[in-house]
Amino acid sequence: MKNLRYAILLLAAASIFAVHAQAQVIVIANPSVKATEISKSDLRDIFTGNATSLPGGGSVVPILLKAGTVHEEFLQAYIGKNDTAYRAGWRSLVFSGQASMPKSLDSDAAVVEFVAHNPGAIGYIGKATPHDGVKVLTVK
Amino acid sequence: MTRLILRSLAAGLCAAMALSLGLNAQEFKVGSKTVQIHGFGTQGFVHTNDNNWLTMRTSNIGSGAFTDAGVNLTMQIRPNLRIGGQVYDRKLGKLGDWHPQLDWATGDYRVKPWLGFRGGKVKTVLGLYNDSQDVDSAHTFALLPQSVYSIDMRDATLSHIGGDIYGTIKAKKYGKFSYTGYVGDQIQSTHGGYPYLLTIHGIYINKTGGLTYGGDVRWQTPVKGLLTGVSYEENQVRNTGLLNPSVALGGPNILTPYWEQSRSQFTKTIYGTYSYKNLRVDSEYKYFWRDFSIFDGQFLALIGTHAWYESAAYRVNKWFEFGGYYSHFDEDWIITVPGQVEAPSESDPSRHIYDKVVTARFDMYTHWYLKVEGHFMDGNAAGTNPQYPEGFYTQDNPQGLKPNTNALVVRAGFSF
Repeated sequence: MKNLRYAILLLAAASIFAVHAQAQVIVIANPSVKATEISKSDLRDIFTGNATSLPGGGSVVPILLKAGTVHEEFLQAYIGKNDTAYRAGWRSLVFSGQASMPKSLDSDAAVVEFVAHNPGAIGYIGKATPHDGVKVLTVK
Repeated sequence: MTRLILRSLAAGLCAAMALSLGLNAQEFKVGSKTVQIHGFGTQGFVHTNDNNWLTMRTSNIGSGAFTDAGVNLTMQIRPNLRIGGQVYDRKLGKLGDWHPQLDWATGDYRVKPWLGFRGGKVKTVLGLYNDSQDVDSAHTFALLPQSVYSIDMRDATLSHIGGDIYGTIKAKKYGKFSYTGYVGDQIQSTHGGYPYLLTIHGIYINKTGGLTYGGDVRWQTPVKGLLTGVSYEENQVRNTGLLNPSVALGGPNILTPYWEQSRSQFTKTIYGTYSYKNLRVDSEYKYFWRDFSIFDGQFLALIGTHAWYESAAYRVNKWFEFGGYYSHFDEDWIITVPGQVEAPSESDPSRHIYDKVVTARFDMYTHWYLKVEGHFMDGNAAGTNPQYPEGFYTQDNPQGLKPNTNALVVRAGFSF
């Protein structure tokens, strides 16, 4: 009985660790994007509709995840807003004619697929997701 | 009545269409380019203890004549080139009255981060929320602070037909500066608060607007989350219509041409906003000045309004947010039309509105939300001689206006 309790505790701890590890975010871009690194400030500007290009890297188009841990972690780490406030900001821009709504995709794999095939696309995924065909941008 | 039924059917059809589309943004292709379709709609209910408010009969059981909706199409031709347009319609008591209007229709070309151009019918950047005041889903409050963003005067400064130049300049450790400059023709609705106000004087405006130009500079400070800015706008407005002298001047019961022209009209705002995690604090001050002549200088009128507010909102979790604000409005005027009286002191209820507001917002689903809001207003800024509309109208309150009003506002909305 005691061993079963330890096993359950270990399993719970492992799953928490697994979720945390899976939720680590990386920023990816289409190989056409010249930059290899991006500042937090530039990343925030692009993903809040305040900029459409990177310094020395040409025009970029942000790609979002619809929901999930990776999405929440990205917003928390780089945008400083929760999802409701973040989307409210985009709605302000879209309904006042100042931006188009960025594409939101269902999964990390869909983001990788889209970013790989669309010049200028920039997105974010979980670190553990396979990401062939895209480049990883270092966030400074 | 037939028109009302047809409009109700059209509104129902739009709602059914939105529901059938699962309230998700839609898109289709034109050649290789994607066209996005987005929309929003709100339905409100307002009850007041005293005084009818916002041209609705709110003081009885309340009024639900508070509906608006918009649909837009945008096409991103290149990452830095976009075209689009939005149609907007509303019914707010006796305002708007289901006359759909082209809200904006623009081409937007961003050459560099520090240089972009917009042209067409463009939403005017003036203060924190002038260009996004219709986007109810983006705001905590059911009614934005009415001193600065009075919903009955919504279209007075909302947009212009012309061009903007805009951009953002980084200043290294000093943050960054964004600027917008514009010039154009400000075409206002004849179904707004000011034309409605004038009907009590027997004046029926059928054309309103004129040259406008201005600019906005905002500073994203090095302090994370702190932004501050200033805006200035100048207008040369000419209103034309018909006058029935028997209504307010004791003349014959006929309709004669009426016109008024601003000799000097401007708006100045200074504002700041600070956000930290789930907390947001806004502050804004607006001064509006209007010096205008009626019948080419036969009569003169000068109106000045001071408006400011402080607001705070806190998001508890993804489905609940609460907030409050204090909104201050006072006006002063001098008018030389016979029979008009001088403005009383500011302490008189007809010169001011001091509004204390608390709000709860519930985001039930991704696209749906509900807001419940209480207003506690001191003053009505609409005595026997109203010159500038601010929510309360004497024609809606023939029994006379009481000095204080409490209001309950419930507003539900969706966007996709």
